[in-house]
Amino acid sequence: MKQLKTLFLCSLLLAIALPALAQKWSVDNLEMVYLKDSTQYVCNPDGVMGDSARMATNRILRRLEVDKGVQTVVVVVKHLEGDDPFTFGMDLSRKYGIGNKQKTGLIIILATEDRSYQILTGRGLEGTFPDAICRRVEDRIMVPQLKNNNWDAAILETVRALDQVVRGDSTIVGDNDSDDDDLPAVLIVMACIIVGASVIGIVVTIAARKKCPKCGKIKHVRLVKTITKGRKKTCTWHCTKCNHTFETTEQIGNDSFGGSAGAGPIIIGGGQRRGGGFGGGGFGGGSFGGGSFGGGGSGGRF
Amino acid sequence: MKQNKTLWIVLAVVAVLLIAGVTSYNGLVNKDEMVNNAWANVQAQYQRRADLIPNLVNTVKGYAAHEKETLDAVIAARSKATQITIDPTNATPEQLAKFQSAQGELSQALGRLLALSENYPDLKANQNFSELQAQLEGTENRIAVSRQDFNKTVQEYNQSVRSFPTNIFAGMFGFEKKTAFEADAAASQAPSVSF
Repeated sequence: MKQLKTLFLCSLLLAIALPALAQKWSVDNLEMVYLKDSTQYVCNPDGVMGDSARMATNRILRRLEVDKGVQTVVVVVKHLEGDDPFTFGMDLSRKYGIGNKQKTGLIIILATEDRSYQILTGRGLEGTFPDAICRRVEDRIMVPQLKNNNWDAAILETVRALDQVVRGDSTIVGDNDSDDDDLPAVLIVMACIIVGASVIGIVVTIAARKKCPKCGKIKHVRLVKTITKGRKKTCTWHCTKCNHTFETTEQIGNDSFGGSAGAGPIIIGGGQRRGGGFGGGGFGGGSFGGGSFGGGGSGGRF
Repeated sequence: MKQNKTLWIVLAVVAVLLIAGVTSYNGLVNKDEMVNNAWANVQAQYQRRADLIPNLVNTVKGYAAHEKETLDAVIAARSKATQITIDPTNATPEQLAKFQSAQGELSQALGRLLALSENYPDLKANQNFSELQAQLEGTENRIAVSRQDFNKTVQEYNQSVRSFPTNIFAGMFGFEKKTAFEADAAASQAPSVSF
């Protein structure tokens, strides 16, 4: 009886799990792994590709992006919503702007159970990959493997072949943009820190200014010297308006001015720490640089 | 003094109108140029297709010379389609429809030619033909994409021409509503085959 119950539960679980496995992927529900980790180019949500082939593909594509600035997205799924890899690829390119400013994006799509494939070339790659070359790679390398259900080999060898073609084209140059792209962000953060620090500095200086006890003016009082003894800080002030010199003593730590003067560096420290986090995020996840696709490429069914 | 005040108010209103006019005008010019650009792209893609056809027809001829009718139909449709060029700046809906139907006829003739190739295994196995076919398919895709882009830019342009307050200046400077592509009537109909 207990066995029967377990069997029933198992089959129930399977019944729930199966439709989930056969999910039809669309642009909206497919996670773009590259955005989280810039060394990952293969979207493999159904686990169609094996890990070793996926990693090998990622390595080739990473080197290709570093050397030639070609951003590639490989999508390997079982089913695509609407069963139209071309439209899917175009929607993907529009949503993410795959490719850099030279528009050298590349999309490779394989839907194993729809038995369809598609290579899409960005506008900047149409010269390197005329449709005929895409078709030739598909006919000679991809499709023979697909017909034998060798998904790993099909993708890996196709990517290798495309890599060769890109490397053979000297007009495609690695853009230093992908690295430069991070630079403005860092600069902006640094600029923010500097501006913020100077504003705080000015505010602190103004706040720390003293009113001249003789003529009552704030504007003309200058700090001459500061002597700190233990927790006691003695400041000497000079008023340029009435030539009056006076001293103030403050307890460091529980004095409000001492606190706010100390707040400057603390806030700057915080800003830098935030800046570091931002930079780290930029290097970890990739970003697409607004490439565009005009519909070039080739696809088919096997 | 009071006169002076009214003068200032009038001047301020004129200045505001002028600034609004200049920005609207420049915005419209910008969008107009984008439409022209998108149209140029559409035409370039159609031209690309027309340029591929002679090569394709010659390749098919080598394997299926007796399919003369289909081949001639493609050539005829091509020459008809390339004759019609329209200027997007003052294209009437009728002109655009004519352009579209001529290109649609060419699409159909090409479709028949490619369907026919299924009957010739040697032709299908020919690498040259396969690649030409890929180029043609790619071009059809590019046409579809460029048409979508064109429609989108036209829609944006029309939206700004018709929305307030730009519509006032659009009327003054003669910016008119533009025509976008209709959903392809020829493509949605079943091709009529008559021998």
